[in-house]
Amino acid sequence: MEHVAIADQVDQSNHPQSFLTKYVWSQDHKVIAIQYSITAIAVGLVALVLSGMMRLQLGFPNEFSFIDPSAYLQFVTMHGMIMVIYLLTALLLGGFGNYLIPLMIGARDMVFPYLNMLSYWTYLLAVIVLLSSFFVSGGPTGAGWTLYPPQAILSGTPGEHAGILLMLASLAIFIVAFTMGGLNYVTTILQARTRGMTLMRMPLTIWGIFVATILGLLAFPALLVSAIMMIFDKVLGTSFFMPAILSLGETLDHTGGSPILFQHLFWFFGHPEVYIVALPAFGMVSDVIATHARKNIFGYRMMVWAIVAIGGLSFVVWAHHMYVSGMNPYFGFFFATTTLIIAIPTALKVYNWLLTLWRGNIHLTLPMLFAIGFIFTFTHGGLTGLMLGNVVIDLPLSDTYFVVAHFHMVMGVSPVMVLFAAIYHWFPLLTGRYLNNKLGKLHFWGTFLGTYAIYLPMHYLGFLGVPRRYFALGSTEFIPQSAETLNASITVSAIIVGLIQLVFIANLIWSTFKGKKAGRNPWQATSLEWQTAQVPPAHGNWGKELPAVHRWAYDYSVPKVIDDFIPQNVSPEEVEYLVSEQDSDEDSYENNNQGEN
Amino acid sequence: MQFFKTLRMKPWLQQDYEQAVTMVSLEQSNEEKVITALKFFLAVITVIFFLFTITFLQRTQSFDFQALSGEPWLPFSNAKLLWQNSAYLLLASLSIVLAKYVAEKEHIYLIIFSLAATALFTLLFIFGQWQAWQQLNQAGFNISANPANSYYFLLTGVHGLHIVGGVLVLLRCIWHFGMGLSCQILATRLKFCGLYWHYLFFLWMFLFFLLTSSADTFKTIALICGF
Repeated sequence: MEHVAIADQVDQSNHPQSFLTKYVWSQDHKVIAIQYSITAIAVGLVALVLSGMMRLQLGFPNEFSFIDPSAYLQFVTMHGMIMVIYLLTALLLGGFGNYLIPLMIGARDMVFPYLNMLSYWTYLLAVIVLLSSFFVSGGPTGAGWTLYPPQAILSGTPGEHAGILLMLASLAIFIVAFTMGGLNYVTTILQARTRGMTLMRMPLTIWGIFVATILGLLAFPALLVSAIMMIFDKVLGTSFFMPAILSLGETLDHTGGSPILFQHLFWFFGHPEVYIVALPAFGMVSDVIATHARKNIFGYRMMVWAIVAIGGLSFVVWAHHMYVSGMNPYFGFFFATTTLIIAIPTALKVYNWLLTLWRGNIHLTLPMLFAIGFIFTFTHGGLTGLMLGNVVIDLPLSDTYFVVAHFHMVMGVSPVMVLFAAIYHWFPLLTGRYLNNKLGKLHFWGTFLGTYAIYLPMHYLGFLGVPRRYFALGSTEFIPQSAETLNASITVSAIIVGLIQLVFIANLIWSTFKGKKAGRNPWQATSLEWQTAQVPPAHGNWGKELPAVHRWAYDYSVPKVIDDFIPQNVSPEEVEYLVSEQDSDEDSYENNNQGEN
Repeated sequence: MQFFKTLRMKPWLQQDYEQAVTMVSLEQSNEEKVITALKFFLAVITVIFFLFTITFLQRTQSFDFQALSGEPWLPFSNAKLLWQNSAYLLLASLSIVLAKYVAEKEHIYLIIFSLAATALFTLLFIFGQWQAWQQLNQAGFNISANPANSYYFLLTGVHGLHIVGGVLVLLRCIWHFGMGLSCQILATRLKFCGLYWHYLFFLWMFLFFLLTSSADTFKTIALICGF
């Protein structure tokens, strides 16, 4: 077989003509990315409505007759599962991963476009299977998003028949979809980079997506394994996770299984999942901050090392989710230690973002606002994580709203802030138009202040001992009346934040057609995706010839250069200097980066 | 340790450029892409079976676990059928190497012969595994009777799915070959199939050992692993 270097290959891709091949059964990574994103956002809105219903019940108990305890548990379960897996994972990797990987590394498309298309349709099937559980008898499962056996498959739990099976099947299908997509992302990043794009010249977005994808490929099997074994327990009567048990006065056939085993498997997936969501977000926020502060990212190498280190460490911390399940004290000590160690690379990243902002030329654009908002929410969520990482603090707080506040700050609000930053940042590339600034500001301040109004009080509720997962508090002596008032105020904030997201959706739709024209590279970014011939990029991305990369992605404000940014595909000869002497070239590089050598 | 060398690069320095260009190989062919993806895929499969194995080893130490061999009345004390199946899978795995070899030499008849042999032996393996299931069921060792049985059905079932996936890919290869794919490209594809089949074979041998060990063996393993 004759081998032609990728960079020299002529663009021979067949450009699809009909509406169906162009927009529906498309193999173009950009269309697939948009399909992924729209599906994820749509299903995310369902989960948002579910959280609103939960809040209505908690804030104003007994006011809403259609929310009974079963329905409440079902809302909790579906809200959690949809948000973590079907929204965040799918949007960050399926949506942004798909859109940005080929464009940022200078490829025409993913290496296996057909597999990529299949990945989306399989994901859609997973979503449909999941949502169909709302319409079966008994409704969706109410086992909590962690689906702990034995209760998840026993009578007494809502959705014990079809609901739980549809959930497990949907997860298995999702994992198949993710694996197809993930193999594509990893292979594309490793094998389809354009000329001059070394791994260490990739933007941090790609590093984040790359490591997160590897985490996903290695962690999702744990969920698959536990889903398969639980289906066996439910359908075939095996006892992998089911101990000998009395249910409603009846002795069941199960014997000898270990529910704790499920927890280990689940969290062996569940903890890396946190970083599957966080690492792409870390990467994207780094690029947004560098671009809008007109400054090279502080400590690029450290940022990459931190991403890799976090990825590695994320596999040895899982049991910190299980302190209350009971474990050998040495075991708990080990996991508390690893959990605290993971704070080191994470804190390093936060410092580097701050140092990038320090003395930067900060443009308070919408993406930048969300990125700065992310630094706040992530720091808050991260610090409570340090508290909960210690066994002695976790034990009393584990079943309270403190944990709810913690994980929503660190894993809910923070990635969502980055997602918004990323959408506002890359929207001009997708459509050639800006999102509306005024609506965007309303969206930012509403979301940022609103989420604080929701989650900050929850920390106090947690300290008061308000238990999580409860349908209603009832007459509990140790909880003061003020907790009820606080709950009502949280609910009001939650509904406001929910409604403000409608402003965002309206902004998306309006700006797609009527937004202010942005033109080419409106943020004056250096990375490759903004350097395509057409905006939005056409099928095949690069026209006749692939770009050659001559530098890293962070040449902002290079001294003595006319523009305050040098795109990655500009060769040293093409750079225009304020001083005509070319020999100042190398000095300028060194001056610019003294701090990092 | 190329990866660590890469991680030490300083991309902000212009002089790294020359080095950079030589470091990224521009000769990446389709073959390398598929190999990369296949390696990651096999890594995923390995993780799946690794996790199954861990849970299995832990379960072997529970009070209600009864190993499937070790005593004369246990079904796999005489595992003749499973040895026979292993031989089929080995032959399938070898004939695919032969198919690749003759495809490179462009011997059409030999290609057809060896591909037919691969298909035949693989189907014999699947059929043999099915027979083993039937025998277990007839002897009363059904899936929910004992955790050892549950794991036997579970692991061989997942392994079976893994094989069926491979068979579908192989059929696609054969179909394309029938439609006029060149022998050289067929050889490349058979190379991937070969890797997949070797993996299947070694995975099966591992499962075979694991599932038919006696209680004493499990005890020793569990002792070493600290269960």
